[in-house]
Amino acid sequence: MRRSDKYRVVVILAGLVTLEFSVRPRLGDDRVSPDFLLLALLIYTIRAQPGKSAGAGFLVGLLRDALTPASFGAGALAHTLVGYLSAWSKAVFFAENIFVNGCLFFAGTWVRNLVIALASGKLKGGMLGWELLVWSPIQSLTTAIVGMLVLWLFGRHLAIRLGDA
Amino acid sequence: MLLSFAAMGLPDRLRDPLARGLRQTVLAPLLKLQEQSELISASLSRYQSVVSQRDSSALAATFLPELRNENTRLRSLLGLGQRLGTGYVAAEVLHQSVPTDPLTLIISAGRKHGVRPLAGVVSPEGLVGVVSAVDEGTSVVVTWAHPEFRASAMASDGSVYGIVAAHGTDGPRSWMLELRGVAYRQLVPDRTLIVTSGLGGVFPRGIPLGSVVGVGREAEGWERTYLLRPAAAPASVSHIMVLIGQRPGGAVRGAFDSSGTVR
Repeated sequence: MRRSDKYRVVVILAGLVTLEFSVRPRLGDDRVSPDFLLLALLIYTIRAQPGKSAGAGFLVGLLRDALTPASFGAGALAHTLVGYLSAWSKAVFFAENIFVNGCLFFAGTWVRNLVIALASGKLKGGMLGWELLVWSPIQSLTTAIVGMLVLWLFGRHLAIRLGDA
Repeated sequence: MLLSFAAMGLPDRLRDPLARGLRQTVLAPLLKLQEQSELISASLSRYQSVVSQRDSSALAATFLPELRNENTRLRSLLGLGQRLGTGYVAAEVLHQSVPTDPLTLIISAGRKHGVRPLAGVVSPEGLVGVVSAVDEGTSVVVTWAHPEFRASAMASDGSVYGIVAAHGTDGPRSWMLELRGVAYRQLVPDRTLIVTSGLGGVFPRGIPLGSVVGVGREAEGWERTYLLRPAAAPASVSHIMVLIGQRPGGAVRGAFDSSGTVR
């Protein structure tokens, strides 16, 4: 892998992190707006080894937990799990296809929200139902659409295996 | 995974400094970016509504000096002291896109702005929550939706007192408040406005909490619990005010000497 390719990936991921804190607050309801931070993690994980992906997921989750103390630790657990499963499933099952990757982004976002909701223990009953059946699918859909757009625009810059660096 | 479980099991005395450290270092520039984004968003999309609110406030303020003089004269006639006021710090809510976001909020005002733990947080609609942790430039707010939130409350006419807490997450009526501990003989009509009572010294008296929508449950012959429709929605509030400078004991108790005589 060329050094310039590696830098491009870092720039794209950093761009997504910046979008999370600059553009997302202006996209309307936070429950349905795309999660750029999770998207950056998922794009990293589909190119990296499961172990490194789990580590990256833990760090992202810990940062998230610092911003949502009501579920401290649950975010780290959820992002670690999603990071590992995403990298593992991508290596085993999924093909290089934008739509398939979109499905992975959708599933990753929904599973992340499921684990946070269950592990935090704060959402139950009707509140949990609304979260998992209404808000999470919409947020997963918006995240998947943005993810597919990112892959369509920058796919050739991301078509590298970070694990081989 | 083990580290994640360890993080979940951390006691508050270790968890809070860790979270605060992350917010003040790695996340500080990102939170600043989000705060700026919120400000730009407010200035663009809410310009018309802000102008309308300013015009209404300016109109109301026209009559304020006369009302203030009249109030001073009446208080003087009744032997009351000066009305206790509170200052406030305005701040933006920095929402996060995770399911538990409405339970705790990060706001863009901290210690350097005068925010202290246990300060009340309000929006124009009513009470949002209470400050639980303060950093240099940001603070953590526990909203009324958090399971550990409590506020001493009363009907707006002072006829009924009780404790307001989140209704809980079970059943179809989630994201509601409940007024607990109301004596069985006291009936509270629907649509009655419930406000903070000022007892306990955390919140000043008179901040709207919600309006009664019905009886939630009752202990036969002993007490009733009423369901409230919240005045403010933490998930959608974007700008809040942190109340600072109120006297310990709240507005009502602070107006009286320890002997109970009016100052």
